[in-house]
Parts: sequence; structure tokens; C-alpha cells
Amino acid sequence: MLLVLVAVARLALAQDTDTTFAVRQGQRLDVSDFGGSVVIKSWRQNAVRVRATHGSRDYVTIATDGPTVRISASSRHGPAMVDYEILAPPWIPLSVSGTPSAEVTIEGTEAEVTVETVEGSIRVVGGRGNISLKSVEGEVTLEGANGHIELNTVDGSISVTDCSGDIAAETVDGEITLLGIESADVDASSVDGSIEYDGTIKDAGRYRFESHDGSVSVSIPEQANATISVATFSGDFDSSFPVTIKDKQKHRFTFTLGTGTARLELESFDGSINLRRPGQVHDQNDEE
Amino acid sequence: MNDHWTDRLSEYLDDELDGAERLELESHLATCEGCAATLAELRRVVGRAQALDDRGPARDLWPGIATRIGSSTDELASRRVRRRISFTVPQLVAASIALIAVSAGIARLASKQPARSASVPVPTSGSMGQPAMFEKADSSADIAVDQLRLALAEGQRTGRLSPTTVYKLEHSLAVIDSAIAEGRRALMLDPQSAYLNHHLADTMRHKLEFLREANRIATARS
Repeated sequence: MLLVLVAVARLALAQDTDTTFAVRQGQRLDVSDFGGSVVIKSWRQNAVRVRATHGSRDYVTIATDGPTVRISASSRHGPAMVDYEILAPPWIPLSVSGTPSAEVTIEGTEAEVTVETVEGSIRVVGGRGNISLKSVEGEVTLEGANGHIELNTVDGSISVTDCSGDIAAETVDGEITLLGIESADVDASSVDGSIEYDGTIKDAGRYRFESHDGSVSVSIPEQANATISVATFSGDFDSSFPVTIKDKQKHRFTFTLGTGTARLELESFDGSINLRRPGQVHDQNDEE
Repeated sequence: MNDHWTDRLSEYLDDELDGAERLELESHLATCEGCAATLAELRRVVGRAQALDDRGPARDLWPGIATRIGSSTDELASRRVRRRISFTVPQLVAASIALIAVSAGIARLASKQPARSASVPVPTSGSMGQPAMFEKADSSADIAVDQLRLALAEGQRTGRLSPTTVYKLEHSLAVIDSAIAEGRRALMLDPQSAYLNHHLADTMRHKLEFLREANRIATARS
């Protein structure tokens, strides 16, 4: 229930809203857009500045609902399409929903992030703790985040760079690129797209990369201790370093590196599976 | 459709309404085509879900094990009460897809829209002589796909989903179905392959998660 109405900016003729309000630790920011773009950047003030470009009959509402500050826009006929530019303190958790569409960009956050769009790409730089980015029809890009990371899209690629923590990435029709990752738990799957992983293979870690119709390329550091299971129906296997296969079945084989404490599952029904050394994964695929 | 009764159709199905409420709902059903149609649809879905096999093991191994480790009969009974019910991966997939179908039906109930035909056909995977559990999963998935078609048509009608988004969702469903068909063909060549069985189940899991998510998006309110 809405407890306090902080501000309502209703501009009958003008097409911009520009307002700033104070926020305190413990609050979170929730932005809803019906179509347009949402750009949130950080600044070092305990306040949120909202600049919005919208139709002359639309109005932006900023309201508090418990610890949540909600920003949304309406028109006489329902939700409105707005382009938002928001400045927020890096500590404030962020939630953005774009239905039916929104292009979402978040930069400099040091807090939890939840973004969900139906149509539109998502790009987030930063983030700590729970990070959940979902799109139906759009690319998902995450850089420099740390925490429990969940990335989903249906028709689009997923790119994760320089992130740490548990990572789960899933798409139906798109590539998944995971570069500069520090993690002991990674799960990436695509039905129709390639998967690249270049990051740590930690002792006792769990790594699973699966594609139906795309290649799977994974970097293995020289000192890695891993039991690697490779499975394919009609794809190829290629390794840039020698491996000794110890257990071979018709469509699957395993081998061990070092003490074998980490577990890697690499599966591609119809694509190639490639093992590379760090730094070689992306280069090799660029050449193809 | 009546909001009050929409929310209580599943209670009616489960025989959880008291006598007066039951009579009142039945009176409402006699005059509301929408509620009657959705109730019939829910009955079909629940019937199919209930038809999923919950087979016990062909041979109970526990007595032999109990004898060897010296468990008493009481302990045996106690263990049986606490027995964890487990399913194979394909069984879980089949059951999950059936549940998705039920959820989708309920979501559509909540959207208060009468059933209508979808304008664009969505390909679905067909039976290719696979194990019965996969076929049941197919059957349940078909129901969920039908629900998705309705939800997509409704999402398009309300402007919540653009034609491009609907096309992309249908395309993605076709991509998954194509992968499932390939998995089935491979499994026919090598039915004993653990990898192929697991891969097919995993692709079907993809499909069920996709259907769940697509239904959620298509039926959610702004």
C-alpha cells in the first residue's frame, strides 16, 4: 500500500520532469517503464535525481511504499512511455521493469540489481549481492559485478565480463560469453548458441556448460585440478593441450587434471567442444 | 466472468466448497459460459495430470537390505513412512509440464478472458516412439503450449506484447522443439545412452521453464 506520496510532477504542457529527493540507507528504488529507456548512474549524494522525458499529458509519480521508492509514469489511458535519466547513490538497491519494452542501462551501482524487460536490452556495470537480469527479446550484458548472478534471456545473447560469484546464465537462442570470471559455481546453457568461458577453475568448484546446437569453449588454467566430463552426439572435441582420457563411453568421456577436485561438465549435442588456455578462448572463436 | 467465482473454481474442483457455496457456483455456471468453459478445461488438465504414472519399483529391495543390516520390522515400517518419494528426471519433467499447464489455465482464469483461438500456429514436438513418460510430457506440454497461444494472443490484443515479441517467443519455442526432435531421433538410434536421455530431459526442462516464463510474462498485468 502506498503510505506517503513524496512527489507528483504533473506537467500539462511541458515534456520534461526534473526532480530530486532524499533517500536514506535501507530504502530501495523501483522504476517501472512502459516503453522507452531507463538510464541509472551513480553519484555520491544520498539523493535521487529523476529527469524524465515524456508526452505532454503524461505524468511521473514518485511514491514510497514501505522501504521502496517507486518511480512510474502514467497517462489518462494507463502507463506511459518515458525516457528516464536517474542519478542514485551507489548503495541503493535497484529494481527496474520494462513492460512491454525498455532499454535499461545501469552504471556504477554497488548494490543489488533486478531488471526485467520483455523487449529491450539490459546493460549493467557494477552490482553486489543478488543480481537478476531478465529479458525476453534483448541482449543482457553485465560487467564488474560480484554476488549471486542470474541472467536470462529468450532471444538474445548474454555477456558477462570481469564478474565474481555464483553465475547462472540461460538463453534459448543466443550466445553466452563469460570472460574474466572468478567463480566456483558457473552454470551456462543455450539451446541454439555458443558458450565461451574464460575464468577460474577453483578446487571443488562446479562448472556446467551446455549447448544443443552451438560450440562450447572453456579455458583451463595449467594448474587446474579438475575432473572434466565431455559429452556430444555429433560434435567434435579439440584441446590445445594434451589430455589423457580415462573413461570413454559412446557419447561421453572423462579425464582428470591434477587432483581432479573441481567438476566440469561440457556438453554440446551438435557443436564442438574446445579446451583452451586462459586468454585463448575468445581469440580462437574470433578467428573462426 | 465473475471475479468471485473465478477465484474459487479450483476449490470447486477439489470439492472444498460448502453446500451453499457449491449450489451458488453451480447456479452461476449455468449462466456463465466463460466459467463453464474454463472449468471444463481445468478438469481436462487436472485429469491428465492425475493420469501421470506414479509407479512403484518393480521389486521391493528393502526387506533384503533390512535383513542384511539388521533393521527391525518396526524400523522398516518407520522407514517406509519416511520414505522419500523420488521420480526419474523424465517423470519430473512430465509432472512439471503438467503443473505448468494447470498454472497457465489458472493464470488465464485470472486474466478473465474467454477462450479464443490463436491466430498463429506454434509447432510442437510429436511422438516418435519414445518412452511413455516422454509422450506424457509431450501431451502435457501441448496443453501448456495451447495456453501460451491464448496468452500470447491476449497479450497482443492488450498491447502488452508487440507482434515482434510474439514472433520471437514462437520462434524460440520452435527452436526448443527442433532440439527436442533432434534429441528424440538420436535417442532412437541409441536408446541406452545416458547422455542422450539426460540431454533430452534437460531440453524438455528448458521447454517447461520457457513455457512458465512466457506464460507469466504474457498474463502478468502492468
